[in-house]
Amino acid sequence: MNAALPSLQDEIEFMQIRFAGEIFEPLLSGALFWPAQRTLLVADLHLEKMSSFAASGQLLPPYDTRSTLHALGRDIADTGASRVICLGDSFHRDEGVRSLPEEDRARITALTGSLEWIWLAGNHDPTPHQLGGECSTSIELGSVALTHEPTRGANGLIAGHLHPAARVMLGGRSVRRPCFAHDGRLLILPAYGVTTGSLNIMSQPFHGLWHWPDLKVTMLGRDRIYPVSIRRLVGG
Amino acid sequence: MCSDGPLFDHISADLPGPIKDWFARRSWQPRTHQLQMLEAADAGESALLIAPTGAGKTLAGFLPTLKALSAGQHEGLHTLYISPLKALAVDVARNLINPIDEMGLPIKVETRTGDTPSHKRQRQRYDPPHVLLTTPEQLALLISHPDADRLFGSVKRLVLDELHALVTSKRGELLSLGVARLAKLAPDLQISALSATVAQPELLRDWIARPVSPQKTRLVTMKGGAAPELNILASEDRVPWAGHSAAYAIPELYDIIKQNGTTLLFVNTRSQAEMLFQGLWAFNEDDLPIALHHGSLDVGQRRKVESAMTAGELRAVVCTSTLDLGIDWGDVDLVVQVGAPKGASRMLQRIGRANHRLDEPSRAVFVPSNRFEVLECEAALEAVSEGTQDSEDPVSGGLDVLAQHVLGMGCAAPFTTEALFEEITRAWPYSDLTMSQFKRVVEFVATGGYALKTYERFAKLRLTEDGAWRISNPRVAQQYRLNIGTIIEEPMVKVRLVRARGQRRGASTGPIGRGGRVLGEMEEYFFNQLAPGDTFLFGGEIVAFEMMRENEAYVSRAFSEAPRIPSYMGGKFPLSTFLADRVRRIISTPDDWKVLPDQVRDWLALQRDVSVLPGRESLLVETFPRADKHYLVCYPFEGRLAHQTMGMLLTRRLERARARPLGFVASEYALAIWGLGDLNAMIRMGRLSLDDLFSEEMLGDDLEEWLDESNLMRRTFRNCAMIAGLIELRHPGKEKTGRQMTMSADLIYDVLYQHEPDHILIQATRRDASRGLLDVDRLGQCLQRIRRHIIHKPLDRISPFAVPVMLDIGKEPIFGEGRESAMAEAAQELIREASGR
Repeated sequence: MNAALPSLQDEIEFMQIRFAGEIFEPLLSGALFWPAQRTLLVADLHLEKMSSFAASGQLLPPYDTRSTLHALGRDIADTGASRVICLGDSFHRDEGVRSLPEEDRARITALTGSLEWIWLAGNHDPTPHQLGGECSTSIELGSVALTHEPTRGANGLIAGHLHPAARVMLGGRSVRRPCFAHDGRLLILPAYGVTTGSLNIMSQPFHGLWHWPDLKVTMLGRDRIYPVSIRRLVGG
Repeated sequence: MCSDGPLFDHISADLPGPIKDWFARRSWQPRTHQLQMLEAADAGESALLIAPTGAGKTLAGFLPTLKALSAGQHEGLHTLYISPLKALAVDVARNLINPIDEMGLPIKVETRTGDTPSHKRQRQRYDPPHVLLTTPEQLALLISHPDADRLFGSVKRLVLDELHALVTSKRGELLSLGVARLAKLAPDLQISALSATVAQPELLRDWIARPVSPQKTRLVTMKGGAAPELNILASEDRVPWAGHSAAYAIPELYDIIKQNGTTLLFVNTRSQAEMLFQGLWAFNEDDLPIALHHGSLDVGQRRKVESAMTAGELRAVVCTSTLDLGIDWGDVDLVVQVGAPKGASRMLQRIGRANHRLDEPSRAVFVPSNRFEVLECEAALEAVSEGTQDSEDPVSGGLDVLAQHVLGMGCAAPFTTEALFEEITRAWPYSDLTMSQFKRVVEFVATGGYALKTYERFAKLRLTEDGAWRISNPRVAQQYRLNIGTIIEEPMVKVRLVRARGQRRGASTGPIGRGGRVLGEMEEYFFNQLAPGDTFLFGGEIVAFEMMRENEAYVSRAFSEAPRIPSYMGGKFPLSTFLADRVRRIISTPDDWKVLPDQVRDWLALQRDVSVLPGRESLLVETFPRADKHYLVCYPFEGRLAHQTMGMLLTRRLERARARPLGFVASEYALAIWGLGDLNAMIRMGRLSLDDLFSEEMLGDDLEEWLDESNLMRRTFRNCAMIAGLIELRHPGKEKTGRQMTMSADLIYDVLYQHEPDHILIQATRRDASRGLLDVDRLGQCLQRIRRHIIHKPLDRISPFAVPVMLDIGKEPIFGEGRESAMAEAAQELIREASGR
């Protein structure tokens, strides 16, 4: 292994995502930073998901919103982003905007007041709200379009919605983790919220979205991210 | 039930005519212990009967009931019987109804289990039989109804069967709370508890005495009949160094089956059962009826085996602990224990399955599957012959079970904190509970118990002005009843046999057959590690994994010789402390070796010559280089779970000492850790002290830190959260979609742990994890025992004792090798590919 060890420069380049002529930095948290635009992209925060179970009698810990916001705050500080774009399903339900605990609401207000903030609508939270920032359904920035749901045949689209994950199998061991995936035309972000599950990119909802041979997959590890060879991907 | 009874004349005079006549017609006499139980009941006292299998325990428990009800004057429910198995309740009903009919007594007996039709269950609540036979879960359900006082007010007696098996589990905790409530609803309640022989009968007696009044409770002990005939298989063949398959012994096992009537072959895990079953059939040229019985097989399939067994149609059954308890499956001639016995009391019970007649000896053969197991079998054989017990003691109660019970009590009637606290502390497992903990549990049930109060609007219990907690709406009760119980299984998937998609292994195109036969169920996590085409043993055949579809795993018949994926998971029960001590004694006392087979004796002698023998109180630590790595192997003999925990903690400490550990593997007897650092040199140069490395401090901060990132906590949390009612799988009218309505327990744990690490569910999880999967108590005792008794033996190569655990590397799960390494390798591969190397 030592002889074939890649140089540090190689490693750093492999950590970047080149998409639609732009360079992006995938973060461990599942956010995608766009240095040229000083913009942080996050998808599927699903804030207030825990509290959405209360009506069915499950009183789950109401702390998911602050955990997700905490991570987001850290990413903003680490990258020095001046703009945040949330790619839809920021709230698990429209009502989430109302059920926000005071402390979390104040945190959101502080964030949206301190930098440019764009909430794109998702299928879970279609209704515009007054939490600060701008609400929209889609947006174009540089050479890319951003929206919640990915569409077939897009060119230069960044989306969320599907919560992509990949499983690699090597030497009898396998690991499944959320991932970024793109084929040069469509890039899908992993879900950012702490309560979100994930779907294997080899499963049915992803069929036909990508030109598979061109697919580039970057998995989120514990301490670093891993661009992986698609030959090693398996289902499940 | 036939035996001598010196007390017969003067006591049987107290038995009503029909019962006396019934005994007389059979020329039977009540046995002494049956009469002693009756005496206790006549004196108005509860009693615990400790007796081996086949001692007529059922009649001992019910004789007082038959006597009391013979006059036909009792209205309503009189006796409640609770057993750990619904099959046992059904079986006892049969054994009770027959004599009652023959005696012509006016007593109505019914069972109530999850299988009882709902109209019958409904009727039982307003028109109960005199004797109701049921399970702990059904008791919990019954006492949660507002009319429970009417149903149970008339109850005089409670019969608890196989109590030893219940008190060591969460079901026992739930039962204890149910009994505390029952004792309140039925102030005259007397308990007759039946138990197999246990290490500390006094604890069991206290357990039943605490909730009843008077608390004076008799202990009736029945000595076993004939001493069992025990042997260890003296194989002609070589006993292997390692492994668990006992494949070497299969020809001899086959001969044993041929020479005996019905033989029960017990193994410790399902996959061992599969392997042994397959091995025996490969040898079965006489086509002997040999069957397989374990918890993953389809229920219908299991029932078929059981009835064939009862009908005497089988020559042998390969089984797991599913056949440990209860029911008489007909005449068993011989019990064979294949693999480690684990504990003396467990063995005694298994052996008791052979020949349910007291005056004839039970016969059993131990078949060790490797050399350390030879020592363990020898230790177990000694202990069983001496009648020494090492059963688990009853456990103190979990807060998750308590939370479930509190909600149930709210469903029954409004309660005040003080009154319910008084009641539940009369349950033995909760006698030490503090009021402040109890209040937190009630808060948890009401609104989740979070510091952040956001769920007042959705409260399940509300504190009303009169100071009583009430359920906020009837739906809460409905939902509670759907989710009752403490048996939380791993998520299971059905295994369905389909037609393969193509002959080519791993082919991924072509149609796949649908709708084949269901073979049984298996834990979901097992399939998470499989890729299509991987083969494994299931239901006696080798199958290939095809795909997951919804909640089912599709498999096809595989035409390979051996399964590729060894699904061996360590058994649930660790080697008992007691047997471990005996094993260490045998090893350290060469005079005791003469009973051992030659090859094992030679192996011990070789170890003595090239290294050292582990002592009875000390810990042997060997260090040696091998290939390009350095190994540390130690022999605590404390069971796999405690060794795994030790391995995790030692690895952390070795990392800090810059010994660069890479991974470890744990067996029942030993622990091997390997790394890049030269441990011999580090110890020689004083850069590493084994006394420090193995100091008890590892159970402090190291344990805490490791728990923080450990998946074991998450796995344990899921159970606690479901028992406590935080996660509910079933919702009224929506049973099918239950999966979609829940969140991953891992995610809930992470969020809760991050914000409220002291939440009562985290407390409950920590308790369960340290007791169950981590076995921290045991590790603590071990570290204390070996303090300043560590014997270091630097070696230049592997020792004879180290061979077994080293052979496990690659077969057993290895810890510590970063779980991410597969991803890292896939990434390296991509980089190499892209940079053209």
